[in-house]
Amino acid sequence: MIQFDLLKLSDGPEIEDKNNLKKDLELEKIIEIIAQKDDLVVKLWNHVLLLSKADIYSIKYRQEAVKDAIQNRDTVLNMYKFTGAVINRTIRAAFIVTYDNPESIVYDTANGIRVMIDAFKDLKDILDRSSFSSEAFRELIGSIKENIDDNFIVSSNELMGFLDIRSGTEFSVRLGMNNTLSDPVFLTHKKESSVMKRIISRKNDYVFRLDPRDERGAEILGSINKWVLSSLAPTMLKAYEHLLQFFTTLHTQLAFFVGAINLYDFFKKTELPLAYPDFSEGTISFRDLYCLSLAISINEKPVPNSLDLHNINAFIISGINKGGKTTFLKAIGQAILLARAGLFVPANNLIIPSSGTVLTHFQRGEERTLSYGKFEEETIRFRKIIESLKAGDYVLMNESFSTTNQVEASVVARQVVSALIDSKITVFYVTFLQDFIYDFIKDNKNKAVLLTPERLKDGTRTFKLVQGFVQSGYALEIWDKYFMKN
Amino acid sequence: MEYKSLIGSKGSKANEETIWDLRIEELINDILGNDKNQFLIDVFKEPLIDKNAIDFRLKIFNDLMDEKIYNAIKNFVNKIKDCNRLMDLEAKTYEEFKYGFHLDAALIYVNALDSSLNLMRELNIKSDGMLYFVNYLENLIQSDRFQALKRITYEAKTGRDKIKVRININGDRIRVAKEENGEDLTSKIEQLFSKFKGQQVRELKLVSYYEQITHIHAAILKGVYRIFKEEFNIMKKLKDVFPDIVDEGIKSFAKEFEFYIKYIEYMKSIQSNGYKFSIPQFTEDGSVHIKGFYNLLLARKNIAVANDIHTTGDKRVFIITGINGGGKTTFAITFGQLAFLSSIGLPIPAEEAKICLFSNIMTAFPIEEDKLENLSRLEQDVVRVHNILKTADNKTLVIVNELFSSTTSEEGFELAKRFIDKITSKGSYLVYVTFISKIAAVENVISLVAQIQDEKPTFKFIESNHISKYMAIQIASKHRLLYEDIKSDLG
Repeated sequence: MIQFDLLKLSDGPEIEDKNNLKKDLELEKIIEIIAQKDDLVVKLWNHVLLLSKADIYSIKYRQEAVKDAIQNRDTVLNMYKFTGAVINRTIRAAFIVTYDNPESIVYDTANGIRVMIDAFKDLKDILDRSSFSSEAFRELIGSIKENIDDNFIVSSNELMGFLDIRSGTEFSVRLGMNNTLSDPVFLTHKKESSVMKRIISRKNDYVFRLDPRDERGAEILGSINKWVLSSLAPTMLKAYEHLLQFFTTLHTQLAFFVGAINLYDFFKKTELPLAYPDFSEGTISFRDLYCLSLAISINEKPVPNSLDLHNINAFIISGINKGGKTTFLKAIGQAILLARAGLFVPANNLIIPSSGTVLTHFQRGEERTLSYGKFEEETIRFRKIIESLKAGDYVLMNESFSTTNQVEASVVARQVVSALIDSKITVFYVTFLQDFIYDFIKDNKNKAVLLTPERLKDGTRTFKLVQGFVQSGYALEIWDKYFMKN
Repeated sequence: MEYKSLIGSKGSKANEETIWDLRIEELINDILGNDKNQFLIDVFKEPLIDKNAIDFRLKIFNDLMDEKIYNAIKNFVNKIKDCNRLMDLEAKTYEEFKYGFHLDAALIYVNALDSSLNLMRELNIKSDGMLYFVNYLENLIQSDRFQALKRITYEAKTGRDKIKVRININGDRIRVAKEENGEDLTSKIEQLFSKFKGQQVRELKLVSYYEQITHIHAAILKGVYRIFKEEFNIMKKLKDVFPDIVDEGIKSFAKEFEFYIKYIEYMKSIQSNGYKFSIPQFTEDGSVHIKGFYNLLLARKNIAVANDIHTTGDKRVFIITGINGGGKTTFAITFGQLAFLSSIGLPIPAEEAKICLFSNIMTAFPIEEDKLENLSRLEQDVVRVHNILKTADNKTLVIVNELFSSTTSEEGFELAKRFIDKITSKGSYLVYVTFISKIAAVENVISLVAQIQDEKPTFKFIESNHISKYMAIQIASKHRLLYEDIKSDLG
C-alpha cells in the first residue's frame, strides 16, 4: 500500500464563520503572497489556514517539513511542476468525456493509466537525487520505492496490453433468469500453443456471422460489448482514478510547501524576522510581532508589538483611536493561524497557549448605529460563534456590543467574556465600553489585563500597546480638576 | 377438491346518490390507488345484508391483521403474480427464450406452493375462508401432477446452472464455445492496483439496463443449446409436458386476495399516522356504541379528529348542530362511510365499534342548483324525504344535510319535526345536520354539538342540551369543566 502524508492535516471541517474571519484578519492579502497566482496554492492555503482543528504533533511535523522544503527548495519546486505536468498529460490522454459509456471508459482509462505508469520512472529519478531529512518527505520516498518496483511496471503494461479494441471482446457467461445471458466476465485472451490444437478445440464451436443488412443486429452486438465491458469499467475507472489521485494528492500537498517557500521569500525581501512558534499552556509571549497583512500592504516593516504574560485569558484593549489596536488584533490572529498551519511567523519569537482556532467578532464601520435590531443581529452572530467554540480556542472581538448604549452593552459584554474565559477560551477584545472595562478588570485581576496604546511623555504615539490600569474615580477627578479648582 | 371464493357471497350495488353523497367513490380511489381494477371497485361498492357473509370476510380480515399471517399470504400471492407475468411474457418472446421463461415461471410456482404450505400450516389461521384454502393447497400439492411438475422443474434448473460458455465477438463474427479456464482480467487489474488507496471514485452513470432479449441473443442461445444438448432437452420436456403451470383455483385466489391486500395496505398507511381500526361487532338490540371514529380521507393527511357516537337504541335520531365550519357535514359523512364500510365486511376506522347492521343507507344532501330539475329546492327536499320514508325501515340509516333550509327557520323547524316523527315511528336511524339549532331540542333526539375553544372549532362533537351557549362552553373548557375534562379528572 502506498502511504504518505506530507501535511497530516486534520480532516475536520473548516471554521464555520470562515468568511468573516478571512475578512477581519485580511487573509486574502497573505494568501496572495503565499500563492503567487497559483490557483491550487490559493485553494490549499485557504483550507489549511481555516481548519477548525490542528494538534500540536501535526503542527510540529509540518514545521519540520517546511524547514526541509526550504532546504531542498529546487527539488520541491521541480516535483511540484512534474506532478502537475503528469496530471495534465494523463487527463489529455484519457480524455474521458462522459461516464455513461463503458466501452470508452475502459479504453480511455487504459490510455491514461499507460501515461502514469511511464511517469513513475521519472518521479523515481527525481527522488533518487534528493536529500530530504524530515519525517514527512522520507516516508514519501520510502513508500514509493517499496511499492513501485520494476515488477509492478511490467505487470501493469502487460494487463493494459489486453485492452486493445482491435482484438475484440472475449468473455464468459452463464444462463440466468429466463435464460438470459448473465455474469459476463471479461477474459484475458487465450494463447493456443499450436495451430493443430486450435483447430481441434474449435471444431465444436458454434460460429455465426451477422447478416450485413442487419443494422439492428450490429447495434445489439455493440450493446453486448458495452454490457460485458460494464463489469470491467468500474474497476478500470477505480484503478485510473486511484493512480491519478496519487499524483494529485502529491501535487496538492507539495502546493503547501510551494506556498511556504513563497512566503519565505517575502520575509527575506522585507527583512521580517522569522520564528517557528511554540506552544505552552498559560503563556502568551512574543517579541516584535508584526502584522503581516499590514507589512504586505505597505511593503515594509510596520511597528511591532511585544508581550510576555502568563495565565492571562482576557486581553482588553482600549484607548485612543488610530493607536494600533485593530492592527494588534490582526497581528495576533494572523500569527495564531500561521502557527497552526505549521508555518513560521513574523516575530523574533512566539509562544501561544494552545493550538485552538481563531474566531472573530468584528464590528464594522457601516454597522455603527444604535438600535435594538442591530444589537439582536450582533447577538445572533455571537451565538453562532459560541456554538462552534471549544476549549483552547481564541476569540478576537473588535468593538462587539457597541450597537446599544454602553451601560446595557457592558452588562452583556461582562457576562459573555466572563463565560468565555471560564470555559478556557482566550479573548482579545478591543472595546470602549467603560463600565465593562472597569468592572471586568476589577473582577478578574489575575486573569485579565488592559492594554492601551503607548503615549510618550511628550504625547507622541508609538503605535505600540502597553499594559494599562483602570483608575477608579478618574472621571470625578477630572470633574474635580475643573470644578473644585477654585 | 373444488376452489371456493375468498370473497364469499356477493352484495348488491349501493344506490348512486348514497355513493356520491358519502364520497364513497373518492374513498375507493384512495384505497385502490392507481389500480383501476373493475372487479375490486365492484366489491367495494356492493354492500352485503347477510350477516354471515359479512362475518366471512371480517374473519379473514381478523386473520390477516395478524402480521405473520398477512405477510405469508401476501408473499405467496405476489409469487403467483410473478409467475403469471412470466407466462404472459413467454407467449410473446423468441422461441429460444420461451424455455427460459417457462422454467422460471415453474420454479417460482413450485417454490411458492411448497414453502407457503409449510408456513401456512404453522400459522394460527381461524377463518373459514383461509382454512378452506390451506386445505385446497394441501390437496393440490399432494397431487401427482404437481409432484411431477416439481421433479422436472428442478432437473431443468440443475441443468441450466451447469451451463457456462465462452463468447468471442470480433467485428461481425460471433463464436460460442465451451468455457475452459480463462483468466478474469477485472480481478487481475483490481489486484495489481490495490496498492493505490484512494477515495471514492466518480460515480459511473452506466445504463443499468441492456437489452437482453433480441434476435442476436436468441441466436447465441441457439448455439448454447447446441453445445449443451442434454440440458436443453430437459427444459424442452418441461415446456411440452406442462404448458400451463398455474392451477385455476390458485389463479382465482390470487385475484380475490387483492381485495384484502388493498384494504390492509390502506389500513397500514392510515395506522402509521397513529389511527386505529377495529372489526365491527353487530348489535341485535339496535344499540350503537362507536368510540374514536374518524374520517379516512382526513386521517390520510393526518388531520382527522376522532369522535364518539352512542345510543342504546331507544333514541335513533342524531341532530348535529354547531358553528359554521365546525365539522358538522364531515361528522355525518364520516359516520355514513363507517356504516357503509362495515356492510362491505371491512374493518372500520374507529377505536371500538358496536353497530347495528344497516340493510340500507339513504342520503339527502344539498343538490346543486342546475340539478334541481323543475321543482323548487324546498319541494325537491320534500320529494326526497317522501321517497326515503317509502322504503325506510328499522334497519335503515338516513343521513340528511341542511334539509328544508330554503324556507324560514320556523317552517324549516316544523318540517324537520314532522320528518323526525315519521322516521322515529319507522324505527330508522337518522343523522340530521342542520344550522337550525332549535331542532336539537325536539323530543326523543340525541343532540350532538360542535365544540369550540378559543373561538376556534375543535371538530369534536359532544352530546349536549346547551345548544346556544357557545361562549359558556368555551369558558368551561378553559377551566376544564366540560364533560370529558371532568370525567377524565374524576376517572
